[in-house]
Order: sequence, then structure tokens, then C-alpha cells
Amino acid sequence: MRWRKTLDWLGAHLALLIVCFLFFFPVLWLVLASFSATGSIYDLKGFFPGSFSLSGYKTLFGDTTMYDYPNWLKNTLFVAVGSSILGTVLVILTAYTISRFQFRSRKMLMKSTLVLSMFPSFMGMTAVYLLMVNFGLINRLWALVLIYASGAPMGYLVQKGYFDSISASVFEAARLDGASNFRVFRSIALPLSKPIIVYTALTQFAWPWSDFILPNLLLKNKDKWTVAVGLMHLDETQFTRFAAGSIFIAVPIVILYFCLSGFLVTGVTAGAAKE
Amino acid sequence: MRRIASILTLTLAISILLAACGGGGDKPAPGPDGGTQGGTGETVVLHVLENDTAKAEGYLQALLDAFNEAYKDKGIQAVDANMDEFTDLATNGPYGYGPDVLYQANDQLMRYAEDRHILPIDVEALDCFSTTPEAAWDAFHMTLDGQVYTMGVPVNVQEPMIFYREDMMPENWQERWDRDGSGTPDFFENWCDLYAFSKELHDSDPNKFGFMVSMNNLYLASPFMLSFGNYIFGEKDGVTDDTDIGFSKGDAVNGLWALRQFAGQMNEGCIDDTVTLNRYEKLADGSYFCAISTPDTYSLFLGNLTNRYKQEGLSEDEAAKKAKENLKMVEVPAKMPSSGDLSQDSASLTGDGWRDTVVMGGVNGYGISSYTKHREACLEFVNFATSFDMIKLRADTLGIAPTRSDVAAQCGDTADIIFQSLSAGRIYLMPSVKAVNQIWVPCQTVMGDVAKDPFREKQGEAAKYPGKAELQAALETIDKNIYDAIHTLAG
Repeated sequence: MRWRKTLDWLGAHLALLIVCFLFFFPVLWLVLASFSATGSIYDLKGFFPGSFSLSGYKTLFGDTTMYDYPNWLKNTLFVAVGSSILGTVLVILTAYTISRFQFRSRKMLMKSTLVLSMFPSFMGMTAVYLLMVNFGLINRLWALVLIYASGAPMGYLVQKGYFDSISASVFEAARLDGASNFRVFRSIALPLSKPIIVYTALTQFAWPWSDFILPNLLLKNKDKWTVAVGLMHLDETQFTRFAAGSIFIAVPIVILYFCLSGFLVTGVTAGAAKE
Repeated sequence: MRRIASILTLTLAISILLAACGGGGDKPAPGPDGGTQGGTGETVVLHVLENDTAKAEGYLQALLDAFNEAYKDKGIQAVDANMDEFTDLATNGPYGYGPDVLYQANDQLMRYAEDRHILPIDVEALDCFSTTPEAAWDAFHMTLDGQVYTMGVPVNVQEPMIFYREDMMPENWQERWDRDGSGTPDFFENWCDLYAFSKELHDSDPNKFGFMVSMNNLYLASPFMLSFGNYIFGEKDGVTDDTDIGFSKGDAVNGLWALRQFAGQMNEGCIDDTVTLNRYEKLADGSYFCAISTPDTYSLFLGNLTNRYKQEGLSEDEAAKKAKENLKMVEVPAKMPSSGDLSQDSASLTGDGWRDTVVMGGVNGYGISSYTKHREACLEFVNFATSFDMIKLRADTLGIAPTRSDVAAQCGDTADIIFQSLSAGRIYLMPSVKAVNQIWVPCQTVMGDVAKDPFREKQGEAAKYPGKAELQAALETIDKNIYDAIHTLAG
């Protein structure tokens, strides 16, 4: 019996190790490639670079004549933070409204948003481009913030599920004490919703942080590019710079995920089922 | 742990917010008219799109500074358009976000010309008019209702050139590889000897290769595709006729046979773009003796070779000096065997046994956007940018081959050789019609597949193109596919 348990343990751990390796290897490869001394993908000894240096990172931040990575990073932060703040407010308000209020066409609205959210976002790119041209918002980072934030409430279902899980009696008690709708939202709903707010902010941050299609469509000038657009325009001979840029862009979001993982799990699980 | 996590999160959040608020915000973008007026409304601002090399090497800044200094009293200011070098004028121009003046290859500019995205230019008034050969102007001519318009101003010629390391030349090349005593190795004079030298080098060391090129690249491998009496588009009444596609015409099959044969002396990277991407490193590390590229990539070869020497322990200056001395650029061999059989002894071939090598080339130049509000100012800029001084500076800084005969004569060496080739018709200029966009993929598919044949045989598989009949059929497929792409599918 004991040997069987040991075998199970071994088998499970072996399988996990293999899966970990499969997922981890490309990341490891990219990390090592970003430290390649020669800067070329064609100079690898087998899988990995033959010599290592920090030159990829030095040129990434030091040589900004052609590729201004620090500026791209700043633009990306602006868009991601702006979208995250505005998008979170809109999603939370939408979810709270749909969850707590009964009004005409509520069901139809829910079904419509569900159907609309199934269409891939790039379907409307031509329309978005023409709208932005007419509003004079091409080459403006605010345009991206507005588009990301305005599209965010379409994915309100997880947040609605979270608000649904808060006992209605809490809200009723507040109403009986004379609290207005806004007061109930601010003093009752929000303090109880920290996990889902953090989860929402994080997801609203992550999407603009790594999106390529929309910024590439709307940002024409190099000084307006985000990191994803800039990296895609790197010359074919700049592989180490590309790898270093890809690694560095992942750092803030990885730290955020690690630090907020507690909220994240609570947010997802709490919003997943109605109690 | 929770405390540490909270502190970390807070620190990160604050830093992100500070960064976001600190400077990521919008600044006014150029107005949709493509030329923002200055504060007083007097200064005309031109947005100039140049290529990345000109920007990286500092030429663009020098040009803008010189222009702005010369025109500061005339209310014209030129600035970098600050866009990707391949930005699509057809997409951005109509909405007011393209450049006013753009520097691109003739096929790109003429693609815009057909759709009226760039303006015709009165070139006779320009300073460079009389010193630029007719062949270069032809690259920018468009005929409409019987009237010929010039849509761009030539700056430099591009053609595939051979880059090689002088230190990899055989020590005894003067005795063994210079039969005619011309002082130029035979393998840079005819394709049979280049093939023989490549074979010898590869046989002596399987990790080394003589001549390398991506055989699926019509532009770079054009000597095999255009040297045998064939052509891209025919002509009718002096106008390009895109219904007459001629890749299979003449003795084209002999060229494809030569391509197939030479691929056998290369590695499998020649089937696709691998060689195009790795040629800089492989030439620097000595894996390739020579490779084809265009003159504007000289700095990339030089940079890689310099890095290689630095890794070997030389200082920055020593490495750069040694690399510059060692890296050479020559035109592709001028003589191709008429039969397409590269394994022949070059000494046995005379007269009709050879054909002149023809390479595909392009003329880069300036065009003026139809969407500019400042046409006259753009003309002033183009005239200034194509003046003797600026083209000379461009040639000195970027190593380009200028189309101005006076500058080419002063530059000498490669620039003059390319200029002479253009004037003598050894460069087949990319047709200046929109239909040229449709030639690349059909050629790439077939050329790559033919280049794969020697590797099929090495792996014990049956060859797909064992004889000239199969190759001729492949060439006819190219013609048909191009025709369909232009007139059936795209139409």
C-alpha cells in the first residue's frame, strides 16, 4: 500500500515537473536570450547564447535614438493605469446596478451585452478608426484609455456575481436606516467589495498593458507608441533588445499579480458562484 | 509576509501612478492637415519621412538642420515625421496623418502614384534634373492619357551586391583564381568560378559556405531569374503591359536550373529567409565567405564584424578599423553561363557561352504627398535634399550609390560602379506599376521549392524538378499565378 502511495506521489510530481518545464522553458529561453552578448538569435550555441552580457538591457534603456523604450514604457503605463482606473469604476458601477436594481429591459440588456461581448473586439476596428479620426483622437493616448474603459463594462458578469453574493439584508438594513442609493453603494457595497475591485483593476490593467492591435491602429507617431507596438517594429537584427524589452515589460505585472494574488483568488471565486 | 506584500504593492502602485501622471500624458499631435502651423501662423512645418538608416546614422538630422538654417527666413521648417519608415500613406494620408514628403523605393512610391496619393512633380526646375540619368527618371514616370508625369525625384540606386571578408580569400587567389590577370578574382567575375570556389570551400569544411543567398528572394536572387532574356512585364506602346508576364520567356529555364544547382552548395537556410536574416552574423563569424545584400545594409555587416573583433579582444577603435579594412562590397559576377550549368569549367566558355548578368534594382527617391497643404514648400525641400551637397553628404554618411552623376563621379568606387551599371542597363529596375506587388509571392513560392530540390535528393527523396521541362512548367506557373493575382483575384 505504501509503495503505491509513493508511486502516486512520484507520478504526480513527475507529471507536474514535466508540465512546469514545458511552460517554463520558453520563458527561461527568452530570459537567457535577453542576456546574449552578441544580440543575435543566430548566434546561439544550441538553445542558449554562447556568451552573456547586460548589453541588451543597456541598449534598451540607453540607446533611444531609434527605439525609445523608456518613452514607450511611460506611454504604456499611462494607458494601462488610466484604463484601469476608469474601466474599474465603470465595470463596478455597471455590475452593481445590474445586480441590485430592477428596471425595465434589465434582462434584455444583460442578454444583449452577453451576445455583444462574444464578438471579437477587432471586428469593429475600422469603425473605431473612423470614429477616432472624426473625433481628432488619432495619435492620442487618451483615445486608448477611453476605448479600453468604455469597452470594459461588457465584461461585468464576474463582478455582478460578486455583488449577488452579498446578502440583500445588509442593503435593506441600510435603506431602512435612511441611506441613499449612493450612500449604500459607497458605505456598504464598496467596503465589502475590495477583492473584486482589486481583481477588476488588475484585469483592466493587464489588457491595455500588452495589447498590440488597437495601439498599432491609432498611434501613428513613434513617440506615442506603446511597448507592444514598439517591440513589433524593432529591426530584425535587434533580437536581444526585443527579448530584454519583452522580459522587462513582464516585470511590473508579475509583481502586481504576486502581491495581489490573495485578492485575485478571492475575487474570482467569490464572483463565480451565487450563494 | 502580508505586510511585506502590502508595502510592495503600495510602492509599485505609487510608482506606476507617478510615472503615469509624470509624463505619459498627451501632447498635441500634428494637426490632421499634416502640417501644423506655428504659433504665429507664419511658419510652415513639413513632416519628412526618411528611412531608419538615415535616421540612425544621423543623416536625417543633418539634412533637417541644414534645411531649417537655409530656410529660416522663408517661413519653412522641416521636422522628422516620426513615423515607421514603411508607414502606409494610402491608409494614413487621406485622414491627414501621413508625411508631407516621403523617401521610399520607386515601386512603393509608384504604387501610391497610381492611386493618386502622391503628386506629380515639375522636375525640370530642380537642381538635380540635368545630372540624373534618364534611366533613374524613368523609374518615376507614369503615363496617363498619353501624358507622362514624373512622380518622384531619384536619390540613389539600390542593387544586390556581394559582401565578403577579404581575410577569407584564398591566399593563392592570384595564382589559382585570376586566370585573366585582371586583379579581380575569377569568382567575382563569373558564376561558374563562384560556384566552383563555393564547392571547394564547403567540401574542405562542411560548416563553411562560399556564396549564400535566400534563393526564395526574387530581389536578391534576381541574377538567376532575370539574366536569360526573360522579363517581369512587357511593354505595349511604350507603356508597361501587366498582361504580358515574362518570367518564363527566353531561356529563363536555364536560370532556374542554375539556381537549383547553386542551392546544392548552400545550407537549407537558402530555401527561406534564414540567410537574409543571419547573413550579418554568419559573415562575421566566418561561416559564410560572401552573401548578397543591398548597399544600405553595409553598416549592419560592419557592426557585426566589429563586434566579432571586440569579442576577440580588440578595442572598440581597433575592431572598427579592422572591420572596415576587411569588409568588402562588389557587384555580383558579370558573366552567367548561357546554358545555366554552373559546373562547367569557365576556361572552356567563350563568346556565346556567357550571358551578361542582370540584377533587379530599385531607385529610391522623394515623393510629395497629395494630402500636403504646402506643395510649394515640399518642392523646396525636395530640391534642397537632392542638391549636390546633401546627396554628397548622404553618400558619405550612408554609403549609398547616388543617382546624381556629379556626386557618383566624386564618390568613386562602388557608387560609381552602380551608377555605371544603371546607365548601362545591367540593372533591371523594379517596374513602377502597382501590379508589381503581385510578383513577389508567386516567385517566392516556386523559387523556394526549386531550391529545396537538392536537399530532397540529399535526404533520399525524389526530386520535384529533375529536369528543365519541370522547371519550365514551374516558371509558367509563376506567370499564370501573377496574372491571376493581378487580373482575376485582385480585379
